Amino acid sequence: MLRWLFRRNTIERELHDELRTFIDMAAAAKEDEGILPAEARRLAAIELGGMEQVKERVRTGRPGAWLDEMAQDLRYSLRTLARAPVFTAVALLTLALGIGANTAIFTIVNGAILRPLAYPRPQQLISISSEFPAFRSVASLSAAEYQEFRTLNQSFEEVGAFGTGGGGFTTSTSEVNLTAGDRPLRVRSMSVDAHLLRALGIQPVEGRFFSAEESSRWTGTLPPALAILSYELWRNAFGGQPVVGQTVQLEGRPHEVVGIMPPGSDVMDNHTQVWLPLWVHPAIAQGRANHVLRIIGRLKDGVTLEQAQTELTAVVDRWAERVGTTEHVPTNHPSVVVDHTLRMRPLQDAVLGSAGRSIWLLQAAVGFVLLIVCANLANLLMARAESRRREFAVRAALGVSLGRLLRQLLTEGAVISAAGGLMGVWLAQSGVETFVRAYPTSMPRTADLHIDESVLLVALGLSMATTVLFGLAPIGHRTHGLVVALKQGGDRGASPGHYRVRRALMMAEVAFAVTLVIGAGLLVRSAFNLTNVDAGFDRSRLVTFSMTLPQANTEPDTRAQAFQRVLEGLRRQPGIESAGVMTGLPPNRPTDAIGTRIENATSPDGNPLEVVDYYQFVIGDYFKTMGIPIVAGRGFEPTDVASDSKVVVVNETLASRIWKGQSPIGRRLRPNLGGTLGASVSPWHTVIGIAKDVKQRGVDQPTGTELYVFLDQHRIAPSTMNVVARTTLPPAALAGTIERLVREVDPGVPVVRLRAMDSVFSESIQRPTLVAQLLAGFAVIALLLAAVGTYGVLSYMVTERRREIGIRMALGAARSAVVALVMKEGLRMTLAGVLIGVAGAFGLSRLIESLLFGVRPTDAVTIAAVVAIITAVAAIACGLPAWRASRLDPIAVLRAD
Amino acid sequence: MDRLDIPQGTLDLMILTILTREPMHGYGISQRLAALSHDSFQVNPGSLFPSLYRLEQDGKLKAEWRASENNRNAKYYNLTAAGRKQLEKHRQRWDRIAFAITSVLEGA
Repeated sequence: MLRWLFRRNTIERELHDELRTFIDMAAAAKEDEGILPAEARRLAAIELGGMEQVKERVRTGRPGAWLDEMAQDLRYSLRTLARAPVFTAVALLTLALGIGANTAIFTIVNGAILRPLAYPRPQQLISISSEFPAFRSVASLSAAEYQEFRTLNQSFEEVGAFGTGGGGFTTSTSEVNLTAGDRPLRVRSMSVDAHLLRALGIQPVEGRFFSAEESSRWTGTLPPALAILSYELWRNAFGGQPVVGQTVQLEGRPHEVVGIMPPGSDVMDNHTQVWLPLWVHPAIAQGRANHVLRIIGRLKDGVTLEQAQTELTAVVDRWAERVGTTEHVPTNHPSVVVDHTLRMRPLQDAVLGSAGRSIWLLQAAVGFVLLIVCANLANLLMARAESRRREFAVRAALGVSLGRLLRQLLTEGAVISAAGGLMGVWLAQSGVETFVRAYPTSMPRTADLHIDESVLLVALGLSMATTVLFGLAPIGHRTHGLVVALKQGGDRGASPGHYRVRRALMMAEVAFAVTLVIGAGLLVRSAFNLTNVDAGFDRSRLVTFSMTLPQANTEPDTRAQAFQRVLEGLRRQPGIESAGVMTGLPPNRPTDAIGTRIENATSPDGNPLEVVDYYQFVIGDYFKTMGIPIVAGRGFEPTDVASDSKVVVVNETLASRIWKGQSPIGRRLRPNLGGTLGASVSPWHTVIGIAKDVKQRGVDQPTGTELYVFLDQHRIAPSTMNVVARTTLPPAALAGTIERLVREVDPGVPVVRLRAMDSVFSESIQRPTLVAQLLAGFAVIALLLAAVGTYGVLSYMVTERRREIGIRMALGAARSAVVALVMKEGLRMTLAGVLIGVAGAFGLSRLIESLLFGVRPTDAVTIAAVVAIITAVAAIACGLPAWRASRLDPIAVLRAD
Repeated sequence: MDRLDIPQGTLDLMILTILTREPMHGYGISQRLAALSHDSFQVNPGSLFPSLYRLEQDGKLKAEWRASENNRNAKYYNLTAAGRKQLEKHRQRWDRIAFAITSVLEGA
């Protein structure tokens, strides 16, 4: 057999010679019978039955013929495609777009949703959170609840905690200043206890973990000065030199490096660079209502999530009895607003959060684009098949079998698919890379986004499926067309059935495009609505930055003075109208949930403490600077600074939740300032005003209760605060001044995230905006492809009916009548597609509903706009062929037949 | 005289038989087949050549180019040992088939 493969050319030549000899011999024999030489040769050739046909039959009978034929098909395909550069380019481009978009989005689906978390036996890891059904909010657990859950549960092998609270409540501000050598760095941090590290099942590559003693005994006023570095930080900032046992400066305080984490270790997508021992201020740890810890547990081997859930329900039922208090314990039957339940879900779901739906939506959208691409390519190939009828007829006459012809067509499809697929994967690769670089935190687990085998497999599968879809689909009619071509000599028009197929394809394209564009339209409107949400403050002309005064070398009172100095410096600058300082930067900040005592009021569950969702500590002219209106009473005044009576301002939600329609002005409450600020006493504060609600946890979320504390009165401050200034200048113009002012206060403190409040705002809605933009991009592609498809089908129709049109014109039909004829046909098909597409959009409205903001999935304005746009595009796509039809020269057309 | 179609599967048998006497080229084989069958069988080159090539690949035939009686360069096919064994097997099978058919026809 090898000989047949490698000596193919010799064999072809031998075969040719042998058949020639056959003819020579047969002709000679006939001459011997007295037939004239020329006639003898002709008869001999007839006897052979056609040189090429015999050759073809010998070839197909050979072993390894398929390989040969495949190579031949391949060469032939490449030649054919090179001869039709426009067709090839259009087919390749559309396919590369379709496959590229799908591969890119699938990379996100794969990395963020499908790929298991990088821990041993990740399916055993469960996130445990508390849920306040009344506020529809998910929160952390209190330190007490965490300890109790550790002892009460039976389902978990290990349960650990990490800190999330902002401000100075726990050690876990999510960023710390790290000085490696002489270079100050701002690095992402997380505080974890030894239990958590055991639950996750990660081992440090060097050194050790924190001990239970170091991470669970919460005493004193500062956390233990220990740190574990991430592998990446160790490589980048310390050049991989041995550091275990040495000290690094964190927040200006020397910390001993006890270990180095393995590469890629993280918790909850935090992008952690420095791991610190978990520490909760004793004053906070005592309060049962202070939800400050997030919990992750590892199930025992063989225990399912359902079993754990059942056990949790039982544990919660007897919780109060077991721990011996009814004060703020979880319940399975929340009856009053402050009641909370405990909730479990797989850690993977918790990491993914709400992003899953957006990602699946994008996947659905690119799936639509791919379907349109397939329909378009099928149409394109059908049109091409029409123009190749004569070629097929000739080849069939030369003895090429029908099967071989079909295989040839499939090979062409495969060549385009493979090339388009490769281009698509390349597009996806560069697209995903650019995306991750530009928006590293817009999607969960961006570190896990890369094109791996499963993504490549899917890309390959898509390419192959596309080959079948658009390579084989037209073949059914081609077979038919071939037979017709063979019978008629290959020149007449195609069957009407095949025009129906193309029309159906076009309607499907329009329908898919309509559905997709409606979806995109709704999301774009949602993003627009989000941009226009009244966040409660005037975000224009505001510049903000964050600074952290190290707890090690500052005291609460020196910090307060330092912030005052920065404010004074700022106010002296030309172009700055006013300035203030706050702990939590709206419109997206971590929830505090601090138990607070309200005078003459008990919480609905009988608890003397009311949970306040947010504490906002402010310094300076805060409300005026931020542009937050005071709706009742007054804001903080300079006269309050020296006053002995401590004052607070509440937001509208807090006022209505606690005082229920009565005026809160003059009422008293007692904020927990011990754990939050390190204050020794927490005196009664008098409410002096109600501030308009400001968005705290995202502009699309309901507003929580918020308490404003005026730190100018207390003369103390937490270590990390956000400075804000109302100014006519852009952040860049202020950068130099601000850095100088901060350096004057403390040369070791970096200015962090200096930017306009507008960008803080747009970052808080980054994901919905991005998803809307991506979807809009896909919708535009779909629209263009559908327009190309419509144009193609109508052009084809005009070509098919040129005789009829010619006759009509010859009989005196006006050009406008011809235009109307074609347009009517095109718009009728478009309308059918639009109707199906709108129906599809209604059908899929559930999928998109939870992603919308301020617009219903069946929004009439959006749908009407989309229908109008599609119709306009279709009119243009139909108009060109119609115009061409009206330019036909009837004489030329009729003569051509 | 009307021509007959060559019964399915017997072309190989006839080619191998014809080649037992001497090596032959394609045209010669087709002529000999017609002569031996008293012109009842006329093999179509579109069937003959694929058969010859297949038998050659399977090692039943060996081919060489040499001058013909009329001094034309022609490809001569010769039986190999494997070819003889194949012929023997096919021959026995054919004899059994022929005997069986004859028995049925005469016994009826």
